Amino acid sequence: KRTKRAKKRGKPCSLRDVEVTISQLGLGYFSDETIVFHYCSGKCTANRKNYDLALAFMKSSRLLTRDQREKARHSPCCRPIAYEEDTSFLDNFSEFHTIHEISAKACGCV
Amino acid sequence: MTLSVQGLAVHSSVEEDCLIEGSGEKGWVTTNTTGEEDLRLERKTLVDELVFSMSSSPILSESGHQEPMDCLRANENCNQDQKCSQRFRIMRQCLAGKDRNTMLANKDCQVAMEVLQEMALFDCRCKRGMKKEMQCLQSYWSINIGMTEGEDFYEPSPYEPMTPHRQSDAFRLASIISGIHSGTGKGQPHCSDPSRTCNPCLDATKACNLNENCKRQRSNYISTCNRAQAQGQQPSQTQPQSQESCNRKRCHKALRQFFERIDTQYSYGLLFCSCKDQACAERRRQTIVPNCSYQDKNKPNCLQLRNNCRLDVHCRSRLADFHTNCQMTPHSVSSCLNDDYQACLASYTRLIGTDMTPNYIDSSHSNFTISPWCTCRGSGNQEEECEKFLQDFRENTCLRNAIQAFGYGSKLDPQPTSDSIKPDLVATANVPKTTMEPGEAPCIISSCANLHELGEDCYHLNRYICDNEVGTGKKLSKPKLK
Repeated sequence: KRTKRAKKRGKPCSLRDVEVTISQLGLGYFSDETIVFHYCSGKCTANRKNYDLALAFMKSSRLLTRDQREKARHSPCCRPIAYEEDTSFLDNFSEFHTIHEISAKACGCV
Repeated sequence: MTLSVQGLAVHSSVEEDCLIEGSGEKGWVTTNTTGEEDLRLERKTLVDELVFSMSSSPILSESGHQEPMDCLRANENCNQDQKCSQRFRIMRQCLAGKDRNTMLANKDCQVAMEVLQEMALFDCRCKRGMKKEMQCLQSYWSINIGMTEGEDFYEPSPYEPMTPHRQSDAFRLASIISGIHSGTGKGQPHCSDPSRTCNPCLDATKACNLNENCKRQRSNYISTCNRAQAQGQQPSQTQPQSQESCNRKRCHKALRQFFERIDTQYSYGLLFCSCKDQACAERRRQTIVPNCSYQDKNKPNCLQLRNNCRLDVHCRSRLADFHTNCQMTPHSVSSCLNDDYQACLASYTRLIGTDMTPNYIDSSHSNFTISPWCTCRGSGNQEEECEKFLQDFRENTCLRNAIQAFGYGSKLDPQPTSDSIKPDLVATANVPKTTMEPGEAPCIISSCANLHELGEDCYHLNRYICDNEVGTGKKLSKPKLK
């Protein structure tokens, strides 16, 4: 029973990666160089604090206005807590560029 | 690749989950991504294993002859021995004088020399990348400096001779790795497929970027070498000195670090990739960020540059090593000493990041020329010597063959359509081919044919590579016969 539920929940927040070319990053650079893009993905439900539970309850019991409700997060987000060092590459016009903080190094539920 | 990008897109739409509860569990796990991830990991470990097992293959055990002592230890040993240290001091004083002739005329000097020649001091060498390499080289030159100053066109290398075994390994590895990266049909641009653009230099860059260490070190030297220029482009940043140029010293250091710390599979792939079009050749030329590390406002005279180089211990040692390992000889098929391509490529690579940094002079793909940033204009009566010096870069058939052998060798694809990597690779690398069918082309010959179309000479490349490829399986385990 338990494993079934665990499966349904999906993987916890962790670092994933995908191979993309620099052009595919959509940052306006044109380069056919391929890099490994690390990103954060996964569930953070296990990391809920009392804060999150309380806020969720308050939202559902309409203690907050609708406007307030929409902007208040009651679940931690899976986000990078550290970024890789700079990524440098040669673009298709023979110019070098360096991008800061383009790839995640570690993930956390924050 | 497209699959994973879709995976990303799914992910970004789910990101709102953080804001609003309950947008669902669907789409969290992108199976495509993880599947590919696993596959890639598997491959990565395979390559790592191969690299490891080959680099750790017995190199030292079979070399029968005594290795020369390193100069630091030789110096220490001499200092402990009273007789030796005394003579050594005398000799250094002798050498500190004007020239060799006066030194030899002096009897004390002569005696000191004779005694020292029986000690290990004169035969000492340094190891590449050894601990305290700098001190060792200083020690070497302090012993040898007066002996060769101004006399020799070529100076002997202060480094230990390279073990020829490594060559076959690396060249074989190159083909294996390129087979993995380009032969498995993973959406890779591959040269045997006419529908895709062929850019081996781009493939080499990809291979480097997929290796975490190589990617980090490469980014490091690129950002170091490109820093000032990038700042210069931004007018908002008010730094007057950044307008001028990059910090060449730091750039050179970062380049040296890159080539010292990175496996030659990656660095050679970037430096010596074989090109069929200009975009590729331009990328190859740009590998070392020539704007900063190579070009300069004015071109010095080559002999002047050599003199500058000889004032610096590192530059001098590496230049001497280059001259030793890339010298042309008419006695071998490859025109390299002992047919040792690897030694030549290694000492060429180690020149990068010194005053004598060599590079491709343009982005011509059909015929490449290599030169340091210097000219023979203004040589005066030393014109001949200067031309001779420059020729060792520009018209060095040994170097040229070595580069071509690596580039075209790395293009070899052991088993183009195989999906299972491991068994096929081992098999094709080891099984000697006795017959050669026209369409099969297991050796470099096909590339040579291409070369001829481009109007370039192959310098008997084919035979050497074939022998090499066929023999590697045995060579690995066979003890050296010299």
